[in-house]
Amino acid sequence: MEETVSYRVYWMIWVVLLVLTLIMIGIESLSLSTGMGILVLSTAMMIKATLIAGWFMHLKYETRFIMLTLVLATLLTTAFLVFLLIPDGIAAHRMMEYPR
Amino acid sequence: MSQADMTSSTISWEGGVSPFGMSWQKLMMWVFLVTDALLFAGFLASYLFIRLANGTWPDQGDVFNMPLIGLMTFILITSSATMATAVGSAHRGNLKSAIRFVSYTALGGAIFLGLQATEWTQIIHEGARLSSNPWGPSAFSSFFFMITGFHGTHVLIGVGILITTALRARAGKATSEGVELVGLYWHFVDLIWVFIFTTFYLI
Repeated sequence: MEETVSYRVYWMIWVVLLVLTLIMIGIESLSLSTGMGILVLSTAMMIKATLIAGWFMHLKYETRFIMLTLVLATLLTTAFLVFLLIPDGIAAHRMMEYPR
Repeated sequence: MSQADMTSSTISWEGGVSPFGMSWQKLMMWVFLVTDALLFAGFLASYLFIRLANGTWPDQGDVFNMPLIGLMTFILITSSATMATAVGSAHRGNLKSAIRFVSYTALGGAIFLGLQATEWTQIIHEGARLSSNPWGPSAFSSFFFMITGFHGTHVLIGVGILITTALRARAGKATSEGVELVGLYWHFVDLIWVFIFTTFYLI
């Protein structure tokens, strides 16, 4: 859908993306637990992805139908892949560590 | 079909001639990007599987030159912002500005590729190969070369398309929608890097 977005919005998003990137790199120097580190990094990653897809790729300005179709198709399939393989990976590790 | 049936179907359709509210070219670009995203999702999911199955994994901070990776990320994010500005200029009919910002984006992509070549050279000099590396599981370097190599190929193709678009725009052959389609592809390359950067370099 045609909608002209102000240049200022793009460059504000650029600043937010850079700040998030710096935070993500800086997280390494903090002594966070593995779980908390993964949670913070994953949240920052999803915020960055939303900003890029929503504003830079103009998905926010498309019809709700196309937005939901594209986002749900990608997210659900990715979640299916990841959550199917994570338990398998852990099980494979246990099998290698404790072979019969 | 009777006139009454046709009226009824017209009322229930409501999609008009463009049910997705976009041109077929743009819709097909989105379909391509979704399929390409799923390809990378497959790469990253298999990477997670192998990493969990191995148990031990090299500390990325010890292997990678993080300031270089940070610089690569900065360049790619900046090129995405210049691309968004180029698309905005094209939609406003400001062809000169669109060409300028498409050129900046291509330059950003080329710098990213140069930095990635530097990163690969450093890693290879330290002994990393497709099937072995000095830091631990052989899958570490296999995934590194596969995932970053595949992404780098996308960047390389993107730079080629950007240069072509800038030249076509200069010759008066590019449309604003054409610039927008290139923009979608380029932002996608940036989007994928966000996931690679987080899952491969940081987590």
